[in-house]
Amino acid sequence: MAGPPPNRDTVDDTGVGPDRGSTTSTPRWVKVFGIIGIVVVLLIVVVMLVGGGGGGHGPSRHAPSGNAAPSSVTEVQVPSGGELGGHTPPSGVPDHGSQ
Amino acid sequence: MTMSPRVRKFALIVHLTFSVGWIGAVVAFLALVFAARSSQDEQTLRAAWLAMESVGWFAIVPLAFASLLTGLVMSLGTKWGLFRHYWVLISLVLTILAIGVLLSNMQTVSFFAGVAAEMDSADAGELRGGLQGELLHAGLGLLVLLVIQVLNVYKPQGMTRYGQRKQRRARRRSKHDEQREVSVSQP
Repeated sequence: MAGPPPNRDTVDDTGVGPDRGSTTSTPRWVKVFGIIGIVVVLLIVVVMLVGGGGGGHGPSRHAPSGNAAPSSVTEVQVPSGGELGGHTPPSGVPDHGSQ
Repeated sequence: MTMSPRVRKFALIVHLTFSVGWIGAVVAFLALVFAARSSQDEQTLRAAWLAMESVGWFAIVPLAFASLLTGLVMSLGTKWGLFRHYWVLISLVLTILAIGVLLSNMQTVSFFAGVAAEMDSADAGELRGGLQGELLHAGLGLLVLLVIQVLNVYKPQGMTRYGQRKQRRARRRSKHDEQREVSVSQP
């Protein structure tokens, strides 16, 4: 009869100890990871350059041209003007002026 | 300094909770993005941006830092180390990268949440346009987190040069200790 399985607590949570893998060369999966990483970074750079994002993150990418993005949410400016930005009242609201 | 098995188990539970919680919070964020994209209702769009900001700052960011911190404790408190194995090193680099992009993207989310809170219907198009970036960020972020999770579960073989040096030194030291014990026991 087989004995009880070894206590995994003495090894690690997958039953694999940290003392393995003493081969001197870089494993293939690390090389594949590296290649994928380089390709992803290049793709991001190309997308940023083509998309005209200027390589930056953050709200400045979304601000209209000529306006600097606000440094905080509280600085967001509401469009000013007394014409309600060309908005019309909802269709359900009666127009008293015409009566 | 290595942790005792009991402490290590506890630290692992805490680390797993934060890490899986991070993934869950990103999924919740993605759900809000999908809800906003699929709805034509402007109120839903504004509510989604406000909720995304809350989920980001109050769930994703704290969980991300907690996951990084507990991960550091786990690696430094066990024989795995921080720079000895490729899977630990790559997990660390990916986590730091993910947190960097997350913090940067949260500025954008806060900006749009601010726009959404201003209740000006002229901004609805801008709010809708911003969802594309969030889908990309959250989607890629989730992918990176899943890659880290797979690395952490499978722990693929491979030691860094630093790890190999450390291992050789440890073996040499243990061999030296053995020889000293033998010479002491045989006068």
